[in-house]
Amino acid sequence: MDKKTVLICDDSLLMRKKLREALNPFNFEAFYEAANGVAAVEQAEKYKPSLVFLDIVMPEKDGIEALKEIKAISPETKVVMVSSVGTSSKLKEALKHGAYDFIQKPIQSDTLASIVEKALKEG
Amino acid sequence: MFSQYFGHYLLNRGLITNEQLQDVLEFQEKVHVKFGVIAVDKGLMTPSQVEEVHEKQKQMDKRFGEIAVELGYLTEEQVEELISHQKQGHLYLAQALIDRGYMSMEEFSSALNEYKKEYSLSTEDFEEIQSGNIETLVENILTKGHEDIREKFGSYISLFAKNMIRFIDRQTFLEISENLQQAKWLASQEILGSPSLFTAIAAEDEALLYIASKYAEENLTEIDELAKDAFCEFLNLHNGIYLVNMSNWGTELSMNPQKLEENVKVSGEFVTITVKTQKGTFHLLLSANPEKVEVQ
Repeated sequence: MDKKTVLICDDSLLMRKKLREALNPFNFEAFYEAANGVAAVEQAEKYKPSLVFLDIVMPEKDGIEALKEIKAISPETKVVMVSSVGTSSKLKEALKHGAYDFIQKPIQSDTLASIVEKALKEG
Repeated sequence: MFSQYFGHYLLNRGLITNEQLQDVLEFQEKVHVKFGVIAVDKGLMTPSQVEEVHEKQKQMDKRFGEIAVELGYLTEEQVEELISHQKQGHLYLAQALIDRGYMSMEEFSSALNEYKKEYSLSTEDFEEIQSGNIETLVENILTKGHEDIREKFGSYISLFAKNMIRFIDRQTFLEISENLQQAKWLASQEILGSPSLFTAIAAEDEALLYIASKYAEENLTEIDELAKDAFCEFLNLHNGIYLVNMSNWGTELSMNPQKLEENVKVSGEFVTITVKTQKGTFHLLLSANPEKVEVQ
């Protein structure tokens, strides 16, 4: 399997830290981080990560806008939305714009693991 | 949670001292048996099933029993039976007060009756509160005499009390208080839509570190970026769950990113709820008119 890279985008330092710790066992080749939607799009364009974890409520540019732009720049990138606002309308909106999956905060490690495993298996 | 309320009632009536209250609440914390523990003890659930329900409870505003039934681990009848084991929370409080010689059985019983009378609690309401129904507690006790606050913020405050218990401190006590005028740390977040809301939590260093440590599940001892972030993130998570609840009730809302400010004065149209935890007090600020709240 090709080496995989991951971009974590959340305005919360705590959430980025927790996600990174939870993703450590998956041996990603590189981790990139962004604290808002604008930085996430820039990083996605630069590194074309295999997987992106994207918060929805963020300053500068929200996660749904960032999702649209990331999918336009890098269609192969799988974008997993991570938010406390797991309403069905947000979920539908994210899926409509190409989100791969949706994780409700606080993150459960087994949910995260099954999504990462599925994404990595599909390549 | 009822013990906190009845305990404060005894304190306010001068029937026990603050030290005695802290002492019995600590004792109660030690002897409290969680719902899941009773379920395992009775052989109805496995520890991993209990753990799964606890994890789900952090993401959705549902009670242990409801989730356990949805997952097929318990039947409605089993939940009822387990609840009846939990309803006796005030007995632990009575036991502790009497064992330590702070009150006699008669004094306790008469104070409890006075309390029920003062809050016009029916036997049904009292049983609901005993079994941990936070909505009934907020409606009948916390917002008694504050109908306007109950109407505007009742569901928000109930959820906040539940999230405090789930994420921070099971011994949380909330009461409506005089408006806060200044804050060392103020984490605020605006909820947009109809109804829009200004929401904020205000704390001094000690309470910020306590909330941050509990929420991050790490021992944070300095007010650094991580501690400040964890404090804000607790508000953000709570508001996210509130939006999910509102959406389930047919109202779609959104929210702005949360922000943290230091040494600010707060004025305008809002209400203040004092939140007492085992390690310090902080405040919840709410307004149905965000444009009428001034933070300087």
